[in-house]
Amino acid sequence: MPVKVHIHTTHRQFTDGLEVVPVEGNTVGQCLSHLVKQFPGMEKALFAKKDKLLNIVEVYVNHTTAHPNELIKPVKDGDEIHLLVMLAGG
Amino acid sequence: MLTPSERERYDRQIMIGEIGQEGQEKLKRSRVVIAGAGGLGSLIAVYLTAAGIGMIRMIDHDQVALSNLNRQILHWEEDIGRNKVDSARKKLRSLNSGVEIEGITEIITEGNASELVNGCDVIVDAMDNLPTRYILNRCAIGKKIPFVHGAVGSFEGRVMTIIPGETACLGCMDRGPVPEEKFPVIGVAPAVIGSIQATEVIKYLLGIGKLLTNRLLVYDGLMTTFNEFTINKNPDCDQCGALMRRG
Repeated sequence: MPVKVHIHTTHRQFTDGLEVVPVEGNTVGQCLSHLVKQFPGMEKALFAKKDKLLNIVEVYVNHTTAHPNELIKPVKDGDEIHLLVMLAGG
Repeated sequence: MLTPSERERYDRQIMIGEIGQEGQEKLKRSRVVIAGAGGLGSLIAVYLTAAGIGMIRMIDHDQVALSNLNRQILHWEEDIGRNKVDSARKKLRSLNSGVEIEGITEIITEGNASELVNGCDVIVDAMDNLPTRYILNRCAIGKKIPFVHGAVGSFEGRVMTIIPGETACLGCMDRGPVPEEKFPVIGVAPAVIGSIQATEVIKYLLGIGKLLTNRLLVYDGLMTTFNEFTINKNPDCDQCGALMRRG
C-alpha cells in the first residue's frame, strides 16, 4: 500500500486536479521526490531549492506536524502526508 | 452581579449548563484584546460583544477602504476613510452598550505590544500578516496571556489556541520568513474562523470544554472539510522554548 499525499487546493493545478497522489518512499523527502517525478510542476510549488522546502509549505504525517527536518522523517506504507500552505490573512 | 436587564439579555446562554449565571458574571469581568479590526476581528468582536465580555480592546492602525467591505462586516460604505477601530466601536456600542469597547489606532510593534495588551485575560490574533502575529505570540508568551491564533486565505482558514508555558506556540511552527503578499479571501472564510476563535475565547474564560491546544484546526470551505493536525511543542523554539525549559 503506497503512501498517500494530500495535495493542497492551490497545488492541484500541478497534479491534474488530483486531491490525493499515491507515492513511494521511506522518508518524506523520498515521497515528495516521487511526487515531483510524477508531477514536475510540484517542484517549484514545494521547494525553494534542492532539499529545502519553501517556508510557506507545511508537512504533516498522519495528521502530526513533521516540522522541523520534515524531509528526513520516516514514513511507511499506508501513511498519509498532508501538504498545507501557511496562511497569513485576517 | 448581573442586572435584571443583563439576565434578560443573556437568558439563552445562561440557560446553557456550562455557562449559567456564574459563567455570565465571569464573562462580564473579562477583558479581551482583539488585534486587528478586519475580517477576523469584525466577526470576533461582534460575537464577543454579543456574549457580554466586560471589556474589548480593538487594535488596528488602518482606515476603512472599499476593498475591505467584502469581508470586514463591521465596516460599511459610510465608514470609508475612517479609522477601523472607530468604525468598529460605533457598531459594537450599538449592539451592546453594556460592553466597554476600547479602540486603539496604532501599529503593533515589539516596542509597544506589551503595553497594548496590558491588563487583558486573552489576546486574539486577527492580524493580516505573519510578522505581527509573531510579535503578539512572543508578547503573549512573555506575559503568560493565552493567545488564540487565527488566519485565513481564499476559502480556507485555521485556528490554534496557545497557553504559554504549556502548549505549542506559533514559533514552534515557524519555518522562516515568508514573502508578504496581498492575500485573496472571501468573507465567509473569516466568518467561520472568527466564530471558532470567539468560541475558544469564551471556553477559555469560562474554563469549559476542550481548547484547540497543540491542535491546528484547518478549514477548507471549498471541500467543506475540517482537518485537525497535532502540533508538538518544539523545545528549540526561539519564542517559547526558554519558557518550556524553565517549566
